[in-house]
Amino acid sequence: MSVRLLVLFLALGLGAPARAAAGAASGSEAPEILVSRGLLRECGLSPGDVVMLSADPHGADARLFRVAGVYEPVPDPARFTAKRLEARMHLPDLLALTADPGEAAAADAVGAINIALKDPADAPAFARELAARAPAMSVVPAAAADDEHFVIIERFHLAISVVTMIGSTAFLLALMVIRADERREVAGLLRLLGLRRRRILAQALLEGLAIASAGAVFGVLFAAATQGAVNAFFQWRYDTTLVFVRVTPAIAARCVALALPLGVMAGLMASWTLLRRPVLDLLRR
Amino acid sequence: MSARAAIVEARGLAKVYPMPAGPVEALREVSLTVEPGDYVAISGPSGCGKSTLLHLLGCVDTPTSGSLLFEGRPVLALREEERSRIRLRRIGFVFQRFYLLPMLTAWENVELVQSEAGLPAAERRARTRELLTYVGLADRAGHRPSQLSGGEMQRVAIARALANRPGLVLADEPTGELDEETGEQIADLFDRVNADGTALVVVTHNLALAGRARRRLAMRSGRLAEPAAVAAT
Repeated sequence: MSVRLLVLFLALGLGAPARAAAGAASGSEAPEILVSRGLLRECGLSPGDVVMLSADPHGADARLFRVAGVYEPVPDPARFTAKRLEARMHLPDLLALTADPGEAAAADAVGAINIALKDPADAPAFARELAARAPAMSVVPAAAADDEHFVIIERFHLAISVVTMIGSTAFLLALMVIRADERREVAGLLRLLGLRRRRILAQALLEGLAIASAGAVFGVLFAAATQGAVNAFFQWRYDTTLVFVRVTPAIAARCVALALPLGVMAGLMASWTLLRRPVLDLLRR
Repeated sequence: MSARAAIVEARGLAKVYPMPAGPVEALREVSLTVEPGDYVAISGPSGCGKSTLLHLLGCVDTPTSGSLLFEGRPVLALREEERSRIRLRRIGFVFQRFYLLPMLTAWENVELVQSEAGLPAAERRARTRELLTYVGLADRAGHRPSQLSGGEMQRVAIARALANRPGLVLADEPTGELDEETGEQIADLFDRVNADGTALVVVTHNLALAGRARRRLAMRSGRLAEPAAVAAT
């Protein structure tokens, strides 16, 4: 079993290169830690290896730990570009590693802890009750912080989708106007023969509906088919298990619900601009 | 005294097109009556107002002044929807460029206007078959316009014009894009249509076609010459 010098940036922000402390403890007695997949790969570790960790940038007071296993950090959308070089250890080991040896109370001091509840829905009530009992303590449901990230991401996505929708609607309308103008003569002939505007509009509506339906179905199928490739690329690019694209039935339904009326409206508007013109104008070359 | 009411009765029709360079008088004081069963040919140089007159008679456009009655109804007082209904049910149109719908077969082109007029499917089928046989194209019913010759397309257009049993068929240069022999066949077909009781107004440069009409009129600078004056020329 090898003893390696491990460069570790602890999540507590104390990090810097730790240096080996010879004879600190034998490898077999060393407490166990789990290392993140990124750290395992970055430092070429494997389970069973003994490493030295220090909370000091210069490696002072380093301690030996044995790598008991590897874990995949929970993906964080707010930090997906960061390398996840992390380790998990038992709380006493962490305290022993980070506490100031000159301060007796430091071994018992903890800046922050996470508490997992059986029912996460109880978090707000639990936080309120704990804050009432220990007024000096700041108690925040962790989910609230996560939600905040997702609210921002959701807004960002909404803004992108609104801009995309406006752009694509303008593009669709322009296409429909061009298509309607290509059929100017046919529309003029139909009106000259006595077909009512309403009938021609109904035809345009059906056509718009068919095109919009086909477009929406194609869009959803295309997104569903390519989401795997998009996820695979970005997961490879940022070395994360974060899922970047997921086409859910709700998203697909929302897309179809937006695309159909927009397609129909674009078709009707384009046709109506044509049908308002006098019959002879439509037939003239 | 005629017991039959006129199909079209035009009195003092004028049509002025406003243009940036000044108004253009396409028609001036034109009066014309078309009786049931009439066969009228209108000739004249390009731009003299023949097609404009045809559009007014066909309720496609409205005159700037004058009065126009279609089967006794004042066209100027009718809404666009009512004029559409007259065009659909009472008037057939034949054009130089055929104007068939390219995506429809010969059968469908003839059936379309009947469908719009609300004829039951069985009647439509029987009438379409009858008309395609009448114009000699029963065996080309399933062909699209792109698969037909010019003469065949014009015969389909004539069948379509007759689909709703109109009282009047208006034809604008119907032989303009056809060779002489095919033009003769179309003229023969018009003779049959007229003999079967449909009034025809044909605008044409084709003297042979115009010669078949019972009344020949000439237009010049937006005015319709008197028949006597035509006969003298």
